[in-house]
Amino acid sequence: MPRPEQETISFTIDGNEVHAPKGAMLVDAAKFGDVEIPVFCYEPKLGQPVGACRMCLVEIEGIPKLQTACSTPVRDGMVVNTITDRVKEAQNAIVEFLLINHPLDCPVCDKGGECPLQDISFGWGGGRSRFIEPKRHFVKPLALSPLIAIDRERCILCYRCVRFSQEIAEDYQLVLQERGAHTFVATFDGHPYVAPFSGNIIELCPVGALTSQPYRFRARPWDIEGSGSVCALCPAQCNVEFTVRDERVLRVLARDHDDVDDGWLCDKGRFAYQSVHVDQRVTNPLLRVDGELVPVGWDRALDAAAAALTAAGDATGAIAGGETTNEEGFLLAHVIRAGLGSANIDSRAGGTLPLELHAALHATALQATVPDLEFAHAVLVLDCEPVDDAPVLDLRIRKGVRRNDVKLAVATSRPSSLDPNAAAVARFAPGMAEAFCAALSCALGGSGVLEELAVAAGAGVDEVRALADVLSTAGDDVVIVYGERLTDGPRGEHAARGLLNVAGRLVAVDHDGSGLLELPAGTNGRGLREVGVLPNAGPGLTPVNDPGLDTAGIAAAAAAGRLQALYLLHADPLRDLPGRATWAAALAAGDTVIAHSALLTEGLWEHATVVFPAESYAEKEGTITHPDGRVQRLRPAIARPGQVRGEWQVLADLSRRLGHDPGILSGPMASKVLFDAIPFYAGLTLDAIGGRGVRWPAGPAATAWPKADTGPFGLETPPHAPTPNGVLRLGTFRSIWASPEVELSPALKFMHQHQRAELHPADAGRLGVAHGDRVTVGSDESRVRATVSLRAAVPEGSVFLETGISVESANALDGGLVEVAPE
Amino acid sequence: MSPTILFKDIDENGLNTIDVYRRRGGYEAMRKVLTQMTPEQVVDELMASGLRGRGGAGFPSGKKISFIPKVNVDKYLVCNADESEPGTFKDRELMQKSPHMLIEGIVIGAYAAGATKSFIYIRGEYVEQADILDAAIVEAQDAGFLGEDILGSGFGLSLVLHRGAGAYICGEETGLLDSLEGKRGNPRLKPPFPANQGLYQGPTVINNVETLATMPHIIQMGGAEYAKIGTETSAGTKLVSVSGNVQRPGNYEIELGVPSREIIYDLAGGPPEGREVKFWFPGGSSSPVLEAKDLDLPYDFNTLAEAGSMLGSGAIIVVDDSVPVVDVAMKLAKFYRHESCGKCTPCREGTNWTVTMLERIDDGLATPMDLDIMASVQEQIIGNCLCVLGDAMAMPIGSMVAKFRQEFEDHIEAARARNPFGGDAAPDPPPPLLQGAVGA
Amino acid sequence: MIGRRKKALTATPDGVVAAERAPEIPAIAQRTVPRFGHGSRVPGWDDAVDLTKDPSEVPDPATTAVPAALRAEIEAHMAKYPDFHSAAIPALAAAQRHHGWCSPEAIEQAACVMRLTPGYLISVASFYDMLETQPVGRNRVYVCTNISCSLCGADALLERLQEETAGDPDFNVRAFECLGACDIAPMASVNDVYIGPITLDDVAPLVGQIREGLPPLPNKQLRRRKSTDPGARS
Repeated sequence: MPRPEQETISFTIDGNEVHAPKGAMLVDAAKFGDVEIPVFCYEPKLGQPVGACRMCLVEIEGIPKLQTACSTPVRDGMVVNTITDRVKEAQNAIVEFLLINHPLDCPVCDKGGECPLQDISFGWGGGRSRFIEPKRHFVKPLALSPLIAIDRERCILCYRCVRFSQEIAEDYQLVLQERGAHTFVATFDGHPYVAPFSGNIIELCPVGALTSQPYRFRARPWDIEGSGSVCALCPAQCNVEFTVRDERVLRVLARDHDDVDDGWLCDKGRFAYQSVHVDQRVTNPLLRVDGELVPVGWDRALDAAAAALTAAGDATGAIAGGETTNEEGFLLAHVIRAGLGSANIDSRAGGTLPLELHAALHATALQATVPDLEFAHAVLVLDCEPVDDAPVLDLRIRKGVRRNDVKLAVATSRPSSLDPNAAAVARFAPGMAEAFCAALSCALGGSGVLEELAVAAGAGVDEVRALADVLSTAGDDVVIVYGERLTDGPRGEHAARGLLNVAGRLVAVDHDGSGLLELPAGTNGRGLREVGVLPNAGPGLTPVNDPGLDTAGIAAAAAAGRLQALYLLHADPLRDLPGRATWAAALAAGDTVIAHSALLTEGLWEHATVVFPAESYAEKEGTITHPDGRVQRLRPAIARPGQVRGEWQVLADLSRRLGHDPGILSGPMASKVLFDAIPFYAGLTLDAIGGRGVRWPAGPAATAWPKADTGPFGLETPPHAPTPNGVLRLGTFRSIWASPEVELSPALKFMHQHQRAELHPADAGRLGVAHGDRVTVGSDESRVRATVSLRAAVPEGSVFLETGISVESANALDGGLVEVAPE
Repeated sequence: MSPTILFKDIDENGLNTIDVYRRRGGYEAMRKVLTQMTPEQVVDELMASGLRGRGGAGFPSGKKISFIPKVNVDKYLVCNADESEPGTFKDRELMQKSPHMLIEGIVIGAYAAGATKSFIYIRGEYVEQADILDAAIVEAQDAGFLGEDILGSGFGLSLVLHRGAGAYICGEETGLLDSLEGKRGNPRLKPPFPANQGLYQGPTVINNVETLATMPHIIQMGGAEYAKIGTETSAGTKLVSVSGNVQRPGNYEIELGVPSREIIYDLAGGPPEGREVKFWFPGGSSSPVLEAKDLDLPYDFNTLAEAGSMLGSGAIIVVDDSVPVVDVAMKLAKFYRHESCGKCTPCREGTNWTVTMLERIDDGLATPMDLDIMASVQEQIIGNCLCVLGDAMAMPIGSMVAKFRQEFEDHIEAARARNPFGGDAAPDPPPPLLQGAVGA
Repeated sequence: MIGRRKKALTATPDGVVAAERAPEIPAIAQRTVPRFGHGSRVPGWDDAVDLTKDPSEVPDPATTAVPAALRAEIEAHMAKYPDFHSAAIPALAAAQRHHGWCSPEAIEQAACVMRLTPGYLISVASFYDMLETQPVGRNRVYVCTNISCSLCGADALLERLQEETAGDPDFNVRAFECLGACDIAPMASVNDVYIGPITLDDVAPLVGQIREGLPPLPNKQLRRRKSTDPGARS
């Protein structure tokens, strides 16, 4: 879909001729003439203006009544006045009206000092009130959720928060009730406003009516400073501003970036900063002495690690977790490959994918960007749940559907929160993405027998056909958003080829506005592959002669005693990776487990022999790569606590001890070495990346990306989905809330996830269990306990469990078919 | 006497059934329109008739329909039957006694506008009338006057009766649209106007019941003939609801331009014996009040506008000399406070403030200076709101304060005299300390 | 300070004035929830959420039971409109008929059928005067107290009606804005039947008729009234 084009017009404001983009609202156009028009309800991020607050009234020549500048598009030759007596009277009147029932408790208000109502009262108010009746008073503050306090006295009914809930997040939980002067913001029947994006209303509120419970009374605007960085808690990599007071992060605000986050944050990004300052943080190097982890000095820890690694040599396996930066991943690969001669290094959980498929899936000609989601003709959400996998993209997809009439097609195993917005929805059996891709590509005109393929995928033929119909008739620009899990598993490469076949039928190569967008499992999943944290590729996706073990291979080899040392960089396999039983055995069997971690999660607590304290994302410097290829820069907002050192430094020191000095003495040097080593990062500098990032696929060095065949491929007959004969197909998902950062943040404690078994009512009826019953799910080898949660939208024959949670996580189960039995 | 068009034989038994209505020539205008006229011809006929909207704004009806863009999208006609303006009850009588006249008008209006889906938004309180309309719609559907391919003309129209649930603001056309879309009845920003983006974002023409019910008669008489009734700028007849302090309250069909005195005294019987007209609302409670000296004004759109008021919905409320003006102002202000949707600041806060000021006056806690503040607050509301509800309070209240200032001042003094302790009461107990009450 | 305020400050949007004017609040209404004089509801300004509750999302059909008749009625309404959202008011009205008022349960059921959040529907329900968000008696008596009716004695009528029905939980007697029947002022809508003009002497028999389920004041029902326009009597 073509993006709106910008045309410049000229108009007159307060006597000055000003050039502004055509169609811009007067409020925005006025800024081109350095004129500020005060607003409360206007917020372009929220969509169409509502004109409710009436603060922005201006005089337009030729129109008798004052007009709202927020809703009047500027036209060529328009003559606008904002400083006439008439406008001033109106502005004074509106401020007076707004302050009638505003308590003016600014000295004890959290918003004081950064409050638009204060600013506007000062700048445009009359400075007096003739309202001598008593003001209304209410109990305050009240809880709106565990995260948000509401102070209804202060509310000026600007509609921003409810518009956010209704038109952006579309959770429609926060609403206005009653009418007229009685109107108030509330939820249904006293339910808390808990939703993945609820925190944004705090930032939207132009008065102190909605305040952050964790931030309340922690600081005044003059106590704090802002520090821009990037949130590293998920692949969406939203741009944030940390509010810092005395080397502590007290708050996270959005730092609007249209090409990344559109100015929104999820509640994990907004509140999980608290995990930076918890007592559980590891701030000293730890060494296991006589079975106990004890604090030691850096030299001792590094020496011990170097000695153990030297002893293990190429019998070492390394896993890099998703939060690892490009520089850290690059250095880890250097340590493992150059220092130890091992190739056993991986950042993907799901197995080895042939290099040419990596190259094909991310071919620059097929790469979609985040804004493409908003302007495409159609978006296919395939085997992923954006709200869990990269939350802020969920909002972007909704925005496209709502504002630009993007046709959304959803093809997942588990019911998606985007289903109600979709023009077509198809379900397939968990893990059957390969067969589904084959079926979809067949329905789009490819080879095969649709009926057979759909049955193999566990999908309905009509659904697949309807999905294909929506995608093929919507228009040229199609974006396919898919989850990394699609290419997981032993048949991942076949699924990848199937996906490329689908893309080949929908996506025009080298056509801006369409393409593939992967949602990696880890924050920097894409960057880690690009810098060589793969068993079969070096930096820049260069092939290695003798590929090493992938994640599952490392686990199996370690469990079998074939690996002596494990290096875990920001990873706890027991928490993050499938095959929990194998990993438990692997960690127990390895002689040495070296971990970089900020937190002692259970696997490390029990098994690590050396623990290097890791930086939190608020302390890090380095780069990470967004799923659409944007290299973004993490900048330290606060000093590192205790003895914590930068991971780049630790890895460089270790490498030096192993006899391979990478010659890196500072963070920026690490970046420089990295940019020089990766052909398609060539030319990047930290300066160029700056606060907005640089999309390398759009840069001149993109031609250095390895060439690869993008299909179409001849496909093998995909395996058939298992038949749930008395048992159920197991599907797993990792929710936005499943992370140690969430568990450790006091404000988010209430989000603590208990395992729930999502079942279709018919299955539950057959099993004799009811909503809320306790059950066990699994097979004879392993079982997890869960509470039954009935959902009509879950396909019959499947049960869904969560992974990534601290107890009863579904990674204890092997997948396939499971029994569900009352506990 | 004025010609009777809409009310002719209105009390005939069974007029609400299709048989009786057709026996009286009903649906013949629709037949003529659908079989002999193009939509443009219908619009021309309406333009020629000089018909102005009967709901309140008085916009020329033919022109309104001509604004509907000729594009190939779903277009809608919405009949505004949310008759909520205090003092207005004319549409109620029409819908109750001659529902088919309205349905016929809707088909004609929809045909002219190219609308294929139509709705009647009737206020929720009119249950009896809604039931009658529902039955009439079924009759019309069975007779083939609604639905697909009406009378073999190729023109199809669906009609849905939508019952509101009690909100004055839904009589405002964009508030009505939001309400019909299943939302809170908040008015929308204009532009875009409903003719371009109305119901479900499609082009929409919204007309009052009386306006639509007049259309079949215009077609039958011919626009030019209709235009001969009334005055040059206010053509035709008008249903006028007269209420308040009069002896024969009710609906009267008058020729526009007759002296107001004739309506209030000759038709409605004037105030009770021994009473005089103190002031009167010429067009519903939203119209600035007129005094007894204005009784000889011709009752038409332009004259009343020139006199600083408006014809509005044609609802005359007569207030006699036994009633204190402050009481009427209070009723009025409370009504508008209750009915303000709360979306825009001046209306939401201004109506509330006005009520509290009036209550202060009543309580003997005000001074004449407060009247200046009250007048100024009304000034600050007028023209600054999202829709006209704020103005609808501010204009009549402003006019009362201006025209009966002395009575307000006397009222203030009398109330003060009744309340010698004003302001001397013990201070209020402090409210409880509530800091940190989150989650409590 | 202006008030000779006799009562503690009550937290209402009307603030002090509503408290001072307590005697105007109908006795019947005080028994359930305090109401403003003019029929508007006391809103939940002072209500915090209950943090033990789950967030209120679209009710899952798997866990929300909806009476079949109510479901059928709501679905029929949804089918009438090009956009099903339009059925919100009819659906709420149907739920109110089934449950007596728009109770949380009623709203959840309607929300389940319409695939909307209960928040959407409470937002709509609380906007409209005829949708009750608090429990009420089943006999609805709306007394018009707007200008024309009050000029003809509606306030006294309301007071008498409230006295006559005081303590009877079956009655929902409330002041209403203009009901569009000023020709029969003072008037009331009794279970949707318009009657008027009602004299104070009519009140006792009227209340009796309502209690016994008889047609209220048959001779004063609006539907029997002939037009006053001399031109209509041709």
